[in-house]
Amino acid sequence: MRISPLKDQLAAAGAVFRERHGVEVVSHFGPLAAECVAVREAAALTDFSFVRAFTLPETPGIDFLDALLAGNVPKIRFGRVLHTFLADAGGFLAADCFVANNDQEFVFLCESILPDAEFDALLASAGMASPARDLSADHVILSLDGFKSWEIVKQIFGADVVGLPYLSIENYQFAGEPVRFIRAGKTSEFGYLLVAPVKIAAALFEALQAGVAERGGRLAGVDAHDALRLEGRFFNIFQEGARVRDPLPLGLQWMIDFEKEKFSGGAAIKQRRAAGLKQKVIGLAADADCAALRAGARIFHAGQPAGEVVADCVSQVLHRPLALGLFPLDLAFSGLEFRVGSPAGAVIRSISMPPIMPKSLLVKLDEM
Amino acid sequence: MSENTNQTIARRRQVIDTFKQELIRRLNLPYVPEDLHEDVSLLGSGLGLDSLDSLEIVLCVETCFKIKIPDENISVLRSINTVVDFVIEQQDRNGGRA
Repeated sequence: MRISPLKDQLAAAGAVFRERHGVEVVSHFGPLAAECVAVREAAALTDFSFVRAFTLPETPGIDFLDALLAGNVPKIRFGRVLHTFLADAGGFLAADCFVANNDQEFVFLCESILPDAEFDALLASAGMASPARDLSADHVILSLDGFKSWEIVKQIFGADVVGLPYLSIENYQFAGEPVRFIRAGKTSEFGYLLVAPVKIAAALFEALQAGVAERGGRLAGVDAHDALRLEGRFFNIFQEGARVRDPLPLGLQWMIDFEKEKFSGGAAIKQRRAAGLKQKVIGLAADADCAALRAGARIFHAGQPAGEVVADCVSQVLHRPLALGLFPLDLAFSGLEFRVGSPAGAVIRSISMPPIMPKSLLVKLDEM
Repeated sequence: MSENTNQTIARRRQVIDTFKQELIRRLNLPYVPEDLHEDVSLLGSGLGLDSLDSLEIVLCVETCFKIKIPDENISVLRSINTVVDFVIEQQDRNGGRA
């Protein structure tokens, strides 16, 4: 099992670990609700070293990545980040990916649901020798998220950081070492991913942790991110992605360049698209006391089976359970009433997502 | 399905279809309506539209449904579904469909 280079530091801070798809991750440090609230109200620091990270030289990296990924890699402008996915040969999700055009290199970050060996085999299927250098062993990835997270990175890296648009990359220095800095959170609050060499990882972690603490935030685990992603309706490959696997019912068409001739799984995905969409994932909400809205639960409409819950959380903003459910197209609309668990189970409703208004959307960083 | 549910779905489907088709046409998006999930984020992540595009969305709603989105109501533009909710709510407030 792959473990984080920061494991000792995380353990000393009270991390509770668990295994996820062959990688040890921090589940949480304290109460899940407090970690979620920290992101919405202040900031939280999370070890994201479970993400597979690679760098590739611009040439042949651009062709290599374009042959693999669903998105259009040559169209990524300098300094910008593409959010796309890697599918297996059958067109089923393997990894949720960021690809950053960072001057002479591409930075390739993957949230993978495949064991590392299978993931590496998939990379090798591009039909050319992989030019990717794996950073996973000698780098850490830290995720700083939250309404006030921009204040912390500004304090550490300077005012320029504040001007970075969403889905962009820049290089900064910390303790004399390069840090690849990506603005790309998935909580709907401000978010930054920092890819840093192991030799400065502990010091960077401490500096960020101090900034977080100063603002009333805290350390967070991946469980909080699972909840925050659902609440903000960001795709989560570890929840609904791992259960559904097919990018089309998940609504990930926006990650795909359908005009591309070839990419991993592309033929199968295009074939399914041509056959027509049959199911779709939509948002669900229940009353605060409903405990049945959990992943795997069956959903009923008019006494008949209608769908299945594929991801769930309790929203700390709305104070009630939220979920995503997979439904046939004729029922995949918000504003409908269903029952969960059994035909006479608790009443739930389909809702429009995202159901919350993040605080960060009200802040204009370019005017700060 | 009950008659009430059928009516809810039919009305919502009509607003969604109209909005998606106009959105694709105005912004020249490389998708067919079926490709656009109603919860996909319009700005930033998802379709990745920018502030100029957001003006087009506002105009799109105005043209298709004769409904104005106030400048301060940016939360409406979070997804297709939030736009559709706003349109239906305004239609109801105006005492019927535009």
